[in-house]
Amino acid sequence: MAVLLRIKEENHGGPMFLLSLPFTAPPGRSEPLTPPRTEAQAVLNRDRAAATDEALLAWSAAGDRLAFDQLSLRHLPRLYQLAHRITGDAAAAEDVAQEAMLRVWQAAARFDPERAKFGTWLHRIATNLAIDRTRQARHTAPAPDDTLPAPGPSPEQQAATRQQRDRVVAALQEMPARQRAALALFYDQEMEGAQAAAALSVSTRGLEGLLRRARRFLAGKLED
Amino acid sequence: MDLTRFLRLLESHGADLRRWPADDAAAARALLAQSAEARTYLQRAAGVEDALRASRSLPDAAALERMRAHVARHVARAPLPVRPGLLHWLRPLLPMGGGALAALAACGLWLMLASPVPLDDAGFNAPRQLAMIESTD
Repeated sequence: MAVLLRIKEENHGGPMFLLSLPFTAPPGRSEPLTPPRTEAQAVLNRDRAAATDEALLAWSAAGDRLAFDQLSLRHLPRLYQLAHRITGDAAAAEDVAQEAMLRVWQAAARFDPERAKFGTWLHRIATNLAIDRTRQARHTAPAPDDTLPAPGPSPEQQAATRQQRDRVVAALQEMPARQRAALALFYDQEMEGAQAAAALSVSTRGLEGLLRRARRFLAGKLED
Repeated sequence: MDLTRFLRLLESHGADLRRWPADDAAAARALLAQSAEARTYLQRAAGVEDALRASRSLPDAAALERMRAHVARHVARAPLPVRPGLLHWLRPLLPMGGGALAALAACGLWLMLASPVPLDDAGFNAPRQLAMIESTD
């Protein structure tokens, strides 16, 4: 049987269960009144910050929501970056990153580390969500984005950098979403070709084709 | 390696030669040592990639905290992840089950719609004839 260990309670919106620990009843007793102290203590004392992604996911699948929080903390910035590159919109990128993590939670118990790398699986979920989001909002013009990093030091350099950045962003918006996703996985996420191809559900040659077209398009736009 | 092949590979693998296949990267380095035109193309491609990298955006601290809280709030109230059961492993066999059901339905339909087979009257009379023979004995 499972015992829910209530760690934290919100004032509004009901209780939040951050840990659900599987405990078995001791012999001669049908139900344990409290979880075994040593087992609960071991779970609470887990070094989540040092754990691998796969370990955190396995703990999450067993009900350790603190482990999942650690996983979110670790991957949300990269997911946001990926989604922002594909959607070109800060609010949409937030939605996609959050939704990707929630999908990971739902499917945590089904993830098989022998069949796929966690990073590839996570990026595939986020990429698909972001591409879907872009298709839904195809006719909506992207909102001006203020989340870009601050440009260079001098005013001239700032202006030049800003101009260059605007041209890149404008060129990316004209590019098909899958090409943007290929660029994001290859450059922003610095994934290997095979891993990026797996995240996009294409062959390595397919990824090279997407990147080739994207680079050619981008170079043409920046040279205009 | 000639310039045409170099440009083709440059478009496929990008300006960072460390990300090229080892053999092609070695040949490209040899070409770059000789050809000023190849070096110009490489610098131009590197410039585009630098501009691309400079345009990426990271979430600020507030956005990150907002996303983390959103995920934690939903996960805290969500049911535990569901472990794959027997049906999950049988899912690949579903097409076979579907095929069997379709075949069964087709057979049933055929039996319902098919005209009955005409029976031989002699077959029905045989027991009666036997009874008559026995009674005459």
